[in-house]
Amino acid sequence: MTDRPTVLAMSMTESAAIQQPGPRLETSRPAVRVEGLGKDFRHPWTQRIKTAVHEISFEVPEGGVFGLLGPNGAGKTTTLRMLLGLLPPTRGQAWLLGRPAGTPESRQDIGFLPENPYFYDHLSALEFLEFSGELAGMSRGPARAQAKELVERVGLAHAATTRMRKYSKGMLQRAGLAHALMGRPRLLFLDEPMSGLDPIGRREVVDLVRELKADGTTVVFSSHILHDVEVLCDRVAILRAGRIQATGTLDALLAGHSAGAEIIVRSIGPVALPPEFLGVGIEAIAGRTRLTLSDAARASALVAWLASHGHEVISLTPERRSLEDLFMELFQGAHEVGGDPEQTRVERRKADRRARA
Amino acid sequence: MSAVLAVARGTFREAVRDRVLFLVVGFGVAALAMSRVLSPIALGEGDRVTIDLGLSTLGLLGIVIVALVGTGLVHKELERRTIHVVLSRPVSRASYLVGKWLGLSGTMAAAVFAMGIILLAVAVWMRGPQAVGPVTQAVFLLALSNTVLAALAVLFSSLSTPVLSVVYTLGLYATGFWTNDMRDFAQAMPGALGSLVRGVSFVIPNLELFNLRPQVAHMETAPTIQIVLAIGYALAYAAAVLALAVVAFERRELK
Repeated sequence: MTDRPTVLAMSMTESAAIQQPGPRLETSRPAVRVEGLGKDFRHPWTQRIKTAVHEISFEVPEGGVFGLLGPNGAGKTTTLRMLLGLLPPTRGQAWLLGRPAGTPESRQDIGFLPENPYFYDHLSALEFLEFSGELAGMSRGPARAQAKELVERVGLAHAATTRMRKYSKGMLQRAGLAHALMGRPRLLFLDEPMSGLDPIGRREVVDLVRELKADGTTVVFSSHILHDVEVLCDRVAILRAGRIQATGTLDALLAGHSAGAEIIVRSIGPVALPPEFLGVGIEAIAGRTRLTLSDAARASALVAWLASHGHEVISLTPERRSLEDLFMELFQGAHEVGGDPEQTRVERRKADRRARA
Repeated sequence: MSAVLAVARGTFREAVRDRVLFLVVGFGVAALAMSRVLSPIALGEGDRVTIDLGLSTLGLLGIVIVALVGTGLVHKELERRTIHVVLSRPVSRASYLVGKWLGLSGTMAAAVFAMGIILLAVAVWMRGPQAVGPVTQAVFLLALSNTVLAALAVLFSSLSTPVLSVVYTLGLYATGFWTNDMRDFAQAMPGALGSLVRGVSFVIPNLELFNLRPQVAHMETAPTIQIVLAIGYALAYAAAVLALAVVAFERRELK
């Protein structure tokens, strides 16, 4: 089943027209449906309006892992907060598991891990999770039992009864993950879930998300760490300055553009290519020659030419376009945080300072 | 309702473990002991002075808890974003605020009743069983008056900074005992000003309604109607204030 990706670098009015849902979307109800959602913030003194999120639209099919990707200030967290009803949208609508977003009912069966979570100082992880379970509508006994199970699952069993003010950042992140999982939600929102975790913790989160996916849970997570997204997501939406730049399945997005190839040959002498192979990179390395092509489609013709001219082809490696390549392509020329071309220099400097802090 | 109780329990559990609360209760016990030590210099009125000072200490203790814990209650959650944890669950903002108020009132009541039991024991020891009724009623109404102030603290905390919330709450506490006098002043004032002062006197909580210290001084129990009226007034006032808080808080953007 293929899914058509959409790469956009235009206003969302145009993007809404271009964004074509794939066959999978048409056959199953989306876990999240967003239509023209946008958010403006008004400065309390100057009354100047700043648009954090323009009219964005996307869908998240049930049972998959969806990544909201973008640099700091791109609008990922604002989008998640609008979906959860923490921020009222200025325009547009959204639905979570078929219910209109923003109401308490829409948050049934939903788990949320906030960015840089901070919890109650005087409660232990077990007490906090029990509290979280009760908020999710569980009665005390089952909430306590599930809290115990989850502290084990996220690796906090050794500190389950320690008050959370003594927790490190990584431990708070784990407690936050356990909180998000309380009540066994069908839809999970994770805002920067790897933040503050060491490599072991990151790996554990990756495994956990994969387990959840296998269980049929829909996971939506925001991140600016490309590797996390590439490893975990089926689909992504790449945000820049509150606008979706590209959305679709990861495979389709990465395969939809020309990828290169690398050919290693054992040479009998210097490789001199004819004009039809103009642009092929040639590099001699210890008796071998490495040829690099920006377009893998030309690789077979080059291999045939090399063989016919007495060069022994040792390897041909197609280069898969990475998410980083796509990201850099989309953000070419946008050095500023959030990638907002409309940002003033002063705003950019401020945003840079914030990002460094 | 279960969400309200869950928020209330969470608030109570978090608040009773705060060191500030222990300090305030410790101060209250010390003040009570001090009043007993000083009673011999009260020219034969030592028992009355002890009980009166004890009730004043209890009132002060309640308002200090409401001011210190309550005024930062919602604001602290907004600042630390722990509120996102609660409101990302199927909990309405109204349930959250009512739960916060219940939790704060519960914390304050636990401290006031704990101190009240000590005061009652001292009163019975000094005045015999006749002290049980008046002192119990006085402690109960005192706690009830603080639930009204707790609602105001929740309102201010959800709209303003902790420092300003403390100022507003303590300001209303101080003026709350003067509402009857304000109405008397209003009668002597010219037209519009008089109406304004009279109007304000109805907006400010009438804390004098909860003050049974004169009855306790004479070891008299208050009539049931006064207790019922005080309960009705406290519930109505707290409900109105919380409704206002909910309306304002519903519009608040939780960044």
